[in-house]
Amino acid sequence: IGLPTNSAQECQNLEVERQRRLERIKQKQSQLQELILQQIAFKNLVQRNRQTEQQTNRQPPHNSVIHLPFIIVNTSKKTVIDCSISNDKFEYLFNFDNMFEIHDDIEVLKRMGMAYGLEAGKCSPEDLKVARGLVPKALEPYVTEMAQGPISSVFMTGASSSNG
Amino acid sequence: HIQWLGSCVDGQSVVRHQHLQKELLELTEAEGKLDELIRKCDLQLQLLTEDPQNKKLSYVMCQDVRMVVNPADQLVMVIKAPPETQLQVSEPSVGYQIALKSSRGPVDVFLVPEDSSKVY
Repeated sequence: IGLPTNSAQECQNLEVERQRRLERIKQKQSQLQELILQQIAFKNLVQRNRQTEQQTNRQPPHNSVIHLPFIIVNTSKKTVIDCSISNDKFEYLFNFDNMFEIHDDIEVLKRMGMAYGLEAGKCSPEDLKVARGLVPKALEPYVTEMAQGPISSVFMTGASSSNG
Repeated sequence: HIQWLGSCVDGQSVVRHQHLQKELLELTEAEGKLDELIRKCDLQLQLLTEDPQNKKLSYVMCQDVRMVVNPADQLVMVIKAPPETQLQVSEPSVGYQIALKSSRGPVDVFLVPEDSSKVY
């Protein structure tokens, strides 16, 4: 054990390190929750579509479906959009004269209820049971945890953003 | 009663020091566990989405998209771009602009028909 000052200094260093790790763990928890939500939403969507196709005994018309992955941009109908496209369609430039929103496919799936409201901590006991069944055993406790309360939005801000 | 303030602080520090070290160890363990779960989860998701059978079935209907957009009469554009495509959004103060730059293939953009919601 060193001199008092050293020891106090080291404690401070450890305290800083502790905070840093807590912050990292919080972020990783959000990341894990997001991955679990994606897994549940994806499986749910596939199941729904499989059932519908079996019931109707046909695939939906090609122009009525949007395959994952995708992002959507929405804006007022009144918005004037100026679009430039490179010849090879590798580059696009859109100019809007008003606000727009960007959402990724996962956000769309969540809004469709494919994650059973887990993303907002709004999940009925029955849905929770189904949701737990969609993930491997090791992840079940995390699903239960998510059902109990809203998750931190730290991670989601990077995945979908809105402008304006 | 005379006590050295220094040694008193030191005594407390030592206890705190041990306590912190123990806590750091626990945090390291917790983080390692999380890393492992994230890695597994990532892999599972990748396997799920790359499965050819799932690929055929992983779609949303146009009316699904219509239903989640508020207000419902908005113009909705779908962008389908290859992985690693860069999407840049300008600062609102500069103007409302989206720039897309793909390096691995053409980007597809189309509008979601407005009356697709009437199916429901």
